[in-house]
Amino acid sequence: MTAAALKADAREIVVERVFAHAPEKVWKALTTAELMGRWLRMPSKGFVPVKGNRFTYQTTAAGAWDGVIHCEVLDVKPKERLVYSWKGGHESNTGYGAPLNTVVTFTLTKVDGGTRLSLVHSGFVLPTNETAFKGMSDGWQKVVPTIGEIAGEG
Amino acid sequence: MIQAAPIDTVMRTLADPTRRAVFERIVKSDEISVAELTRGSGVTQSAVSQHLRSLKEAGLIVDRAQGRNVFYSAEPKGLVPLFDWMSHYAVFWRERFADLETLLKEIDR
Repeated sequence: MTAAALKADAREIVVERVFAHAPEKVWKALTTAELMGRWLRMPSKGFVPVKGNRFTYQTTAAGAWDGVIHCEVLDVKPKERLVYSWKGGHESNTGYGAPLNTVVTFTLTKVDGGTRLSLVHSGFVLPTNETAFKGMSDGWQKVVPTIGEIAGEG
Repeated sequence: MIQAAPIDTVMRTLADPTRRAVFERIVKSDEISVAELTRGSGVTQSAVSQHLRSLKEAGLIVDRAQGRNVFYSAEPKGLVPLFDWMSHYAVFWRERFADLETLLKEIDR
């Protein structure tokens, strides 16, 4: 599989919002373990905002997957950028709980009256089977947007 | 929770280019008959019928009989297994951003 093909079919979630708070405040909420657990609504274990730090989140289990999301801090630039990997799931699951090897990137930008926070959750590669993936890549380009809209409504 | 076909079945079914072309034409139309699907497809009606059977078994399409005709339409839930994980997180992050807003207001006091 070429990198270009992978890129074309890898999909990402992007959420952006301006908060009426200074970047320092938003950064604190993002990187203080106790505060992070409060807004993410799931307990984390071992988080410190240091590159290379490994930590976990505990979420709802599914089938053979224990619900643990394994993360590693990939990049930290105080008050500007936080990047960590987000891996979980089990290959016996489909849908929720299926294997996931993704990256979460938070970017903070100071704007008038607050902070723009952008979240990109990237690396959703569909489907995961490489042989089928090659055969389907053209078709998905057309089908995916249609179905994505429907799936996104839920 | 709907009982969806396994993800492998969905992928295998759509890996065939001709079958995928048939599926895409069904997706693009509200409802379509075998005769219409066969026209301009370059394959025989029996080949199209065979593809329709596979697509139906994979849960990707549904059929509706009307007199002597059978009409096919796409079943969007058929692709849900492939999107479930991702749409889960799309909803998750939107909600969490709202929670973050609440938290920031609290700690600002």
